[in-house]
Amino acid sequence: MDQRMADAPAPAGFGAEHDGFDGDSRTAVAGLGLVLAFAAALWWLCAEHPARLPDWAPWEFSWTQFVAAGLALFWYARGVALTPAARRPGPWRHVAYVGGVAAIYTVLLTHFEYMAQHMFFLNRLQHLVMHHLGPFLIALSWPGASLLRGMPPPVRRVIEWAPLQRVMWVVQQPVIAGTLFVGLIYLWLIPAVHVRAMIDPRLYDVMNWTMVIDGLLFWSLVLDPRPSPPARTSYAMRMLVTTLVMFPQIMLGATITFSTTSLYWYYDVCGRLYPSIGALLDQHIGGVILWIPSAMMSSAAFMLTLNNVRLNEERQPVMEDDDDGPAPISASAWTGR
Amino acid sequence: MGMPGRRALLGTAGAAVLAVAVPLVGSPADAATAAAGWHGIDVTGSSPALELSMTRASDGRAVTAADFRGRVVMLYFGYVSCPDACPLTMSRIAHVLDNLGPLASQVRVLFVTVDPARDTLPVVRDYASAFGVDFVGLRGTPDALAALARRYRIAYSITPATEDTPEAVTHSSAVYVFDRTGRARLLIPGLASQTPDLDGVTEDMRRLIVGDAPKGLMQRMWDAVLGMV
Repeated sequence: MDQRMADAPAPAGFGAEHDGFDGDSRTAVAGLGLVLAFAAALWWLCAEHPARLPDWAPWEFSWTQFVAAGLALFWYARGVALTPAARRPGPWRHVAYVGGVAAIYTVLLTHFEYMAQHMFFLNRLQHLVMHHLGPFLIALSWPGASLLRGMPPPVRRVIEWAPLQRVMWVVQQPVIAGTLFVGLIYLWLIPAVHVRAMIDPRLYDVMNWTMVIDGLLFWSLVLDPRPSPPARTSYAMRMLVTTLVMFPQIMLGATITFSTTSLYWYYDVCGRLYPSIGALLDQHIGGVILWIPSAMMSSAAFMLTLNNVRLNEERQPVMEDDDDGPAPISASAWTGR
Repeated sequence: MGMPGRRALLGTAGAAVLAVAVPLVGSPADAATAAAGWHGIDVTGSSPALELSMTRASDGRAVTAADFRGRVVMLYFGYVSCPDACPLTMSRIAHVLDNLGPLASQVRVLFVTVDPARDTLPVVRDYASAFGVDFVGLRGTPDALAALARRYRIAYSITPATEDTPEAVTHSSAVYVFDRTGRARLLIPGLASQTPDLDGVTEDMRRLIVGDAPKGLMQRMWDAVLGMV
């Protein structure tokens, strides 16, 4: 995250937290209080009146998920408000960011989660949004600078804490990031592991968190608009990684799609929502979701990276041949010296 | 730190190949279940302990899990007007209890209706008692039912009747088994299938009723490790 800050203009009030920061810290506390108050209300409603809640309300309330989503939006909004108008991200970046957070929220904290707990293909759709679409949109909006500016200084210090940065550095090594990205999809789809995760609420939480966090790590590595450095790795490496992760996903998707036995008995016992969709059809659709949209996301990332290369080259001053010989333009022409 | 060395690369490649291979060879039969020797699916340590708040149909009393402590509990969701799956499952559980003989008195079969609007207390009472004395009919408020179904990942839905179609009810087929302390132990699949393993279920139930000494910490940790593989 500190690298993202590196390209951000040193913002007013950032790095100088004690300059009139008191008023700001009050809004930060108020925001946290508001998020916690909403969380408490929803938690109580989910515990006491689950049958009366509308479809957009949570099915299984999760404090960590709700507070994370609430703070992600609040810190972003606050960070943008604290940014001088000329340096604020454009409207499409706001749309991508809010859309990404909202997409993850929808699959985890509405009644969609109930559906995803009882149909394999909807579970695959949930994972696609948690691990691909949502984090992809968030990374595309490149919100690091706004978030850092909007969060309270103690949280910022945690994020900038050296050991945490070192962990980030390791897991964002291209080879490790790609292996983690694919490995987590495979891990949670090992039939015995998948079933445990679905019936054990604690493991279920771990699964969802690992998917969202890994999605954010991976796509923020690939969709970094900047050249390297300050970006983690070269544009070429990013295009290579996003291409290579496609094949194991296609292979797994195809394996599940064409499997002739029901691999995940959990959905036989604790499913299914629609009598017209049996075990194998459910699995076929789930396999296709694992196979095609995830590969399309990689292609989209590849194209976006190409576009980043182009934008970056256009931004470069045309002085690339400087090293080859004497400068073609002599400063004496305008300095007179 | 620079780029990972060749050895690390080989390691990750090996892990990736393993990750590819496991789902390919993994069968629906749970390895952990086989290791622990149960016929049903071992959910010890995974599914949450028994917790409910319902009305008992036989006497109209509010009951919680505490009322069933000391008994081995089977938990099943259904509805009285169910044409096939529920009566089939219930009669097969009755068959298992028959097999158990006198030990059956240590078992309580909880039948929770997913259609509380139509299944009034007398209706549920008569339905449950028709399968045997150890069957307990339970009816809860829609909120209590939703909370219980959510806890055990049971899907259920009721589509109200229209002029052309009768009311349609769907629900999951899972039968959970809890030990005397209320801990979730087994999930029994396929009781409404054409080839239910009734002898296996009987053996599992007998094991839970008679000799089921609680395992030590090391044993449980080892089981958890096996359960993950």
